[in-house]
Amino acid sequence: MAMAANETDPAQRPPAIEIRRLTKDYPLPGGRQRVRAVDDLSLRVHPGQIYGLLGPNGSGKSTTLKALLGLLRPTLGECLLAGVPGSDPAAHRAIGYLPEAPYFPRFLSGRELLRFHAKLAGVPRAGREERIAALLGRVGLAHAADRRVGSYSKGMLQRVGLAQALVADPSILILDEPTAGVDPGGAADIAELILEQKARGRTVLLCSHLLTQIEEICDRVAILHRGRLLAEGALDDLLGRCGRQSLVVEHLPSEELAAFEDWLAERGGRLHAVERPAARLDRYFLETVERAEREGEASR
Amino acid sequence: MSAVGTGSLRFSPHRVVVLASHAFLDAVRQRVFQFTTLLAAVLVVGSLGLRELDFGGAELKFVADFGHGALVLFGSVLTIVTTVQLLGGELENRTVLPVLARPVRRSEFICGKFFGAWAVVLVFCAAVTAVLLGALWLGAQALPPPLADAPQVPAAAVPYAGVLVGGALQGVKFGLLVAMVLLVGSYARSNLFAQATGFLVLVICHLQYLARDAWQTGHGWLERFGGGLIGLVFPNFQLFGGEYLTAGTDGAALALGGRVALYGLAYTAVFLALAVWSFRRREI
Repeated sequence: MAMAANETDPAQRPPAIEIRRLTKDYPLPGGRQRVRAVDDLSLRVHPGQIYGLLGPNGSGKSTTLKALLGLLRPTLGECLLAGVPGSDPAAHRAIGYLPEAPYFPRFLSGRELLRFHAKLAGVPRAGREERIAALLGRVGLAHAADRRVGSYSKGMLQRVGLAQALVADPSILILDEPTAGVDPGGAADIAELILEQKARGRTVLLCSHLLTQIEEICDRVAILHRGRLLAEGALDDLLGRCGRQSLVVEHLPSEELAAFEDWLAERGGRLHAVERPAARLDRYFLETVERAEREGEASR
Repeated sequence: MSAVGTGSLRFSPHRVVVLASHAFLDAVRQRVFQFTTLLAAVLVVGSLGLRELDFGGAELKFVADFGHGALVLFGSVLTIVTTVQLLGGELENRTVLPVLARPVRRSEFICGKFFGAWAVVLVFCAAVTAVLLGALWLGAQALPPPLADAPQVPAAAVPYAGVLVGGALQGVKFGLLVAMVLLVGSYARSNLFAQATGFLVLVICHLQYLARDAWQTGHGWLERFGGGLIGLVFPNFQLFGGEYLTAGTDGAALALGGRVALYGLAYTAVFLALAVWSFRRREI
């Protein structure tokens, strides 16, 4: 029984990503002084989790990801990907990486870019082209698959970057600002794609400034500030919303509220707060755009 | 989860070929390659227009020298600019990040860049040499018939074979230059520095024989030590010179060309190994 529990509980399985006491110093010009970008950071991301790394600019998020991938040498500490040091290229068999504000060779088309990365990652020739076409379709770039990447918009670059990260069907996805520069509709698509990966058992570590999106898709988050870990944990725990639910009701007379509270108390519940439901601008925006698109389709 | 624990990642010639093909495609789609190749070819063909100077049989020697000069000059520029662009451009634009996040060894990355850049320069050498051979053939056809009392110009005077050997040796020399520029680029923090240093290295290699002279005949220990150091570290590019254009293709000339090619390839291997070593621990 215990073994079965271990297999199903991600927290009991070996971490997909582990950062142990990572410290990274950069020398300042002149070489005598150093600036500490990451300070004694330890994290564990378990298989199947979506883990958000939050922090203001310069908090050490990108440095942490680069150290994890072996692109930077830690001053102290170590980073493991599926138990293998990130500096070992063998560890990269398991990962897909989307860098911040991704730049790709301008002379390649989207399809050629994915083909190049698929070959590097060792994706077998059989089925490679089909996978590339499917991925380009999934990120909404089927129409621009054979256009040069140099002609892509910022949002299209993010999408093709996400497709290249997924091209080898990695078990760990490392995404640095995956929705930067993407319009709200595109950001929602990317969030959906990330959730799809979680549903397939993939592990996702992502950095983002879009707190609303992080809140919607992440299981756990870590908040960094000046390289130090300020807070870490499950979102529900951090936001103090464990065991809480919200009901949105219409036309409940205020005099009935007390009766409703009594009804809840009889069942062991407690009314925590009465407030106006917050309208979400992003949701309103998406609904408005989708409605306009539906009407446009209907009128054609 | 994907199988990560399937052992260490061995050096893969297949990945080197993938990276080299990518680098080659990158370089040949850039205007610098197209412009340089076109300009060199136009200059070689244009040298035929100088026949008003009426060199007679020596005109073909002039065309061969002129074409070889264009090959050396534009080939050197193309080699340095392309190599810096392929490595430095990738580092500066951060397109290297998703590549090195793949299961790719850094040695494979540098070797891929080397073979890609070298392939580009070899295509340039082949194209310019082919144009030069064509120009020589056209020039030979257009020569006026010799006067009855003038010495006959034998067919062997048209230095086709020498041009081929000279072009091949330039290809070897440019490969060596690619490796040297990669070594510079493996630690350079800007493309400008890498290009400037690349051209400086080119000049030093062309003047290396002066350092060797100082080593062997210098008076002070500093002169001898400095000359020896430069003479050993830098290869002598004068060895790859244009004397093959007239040396013919007898056994001795071919043997000398072979020894020079081996000399160039040995230096190339050393500089490529140093570039791999230098890039191995570079922070990206």
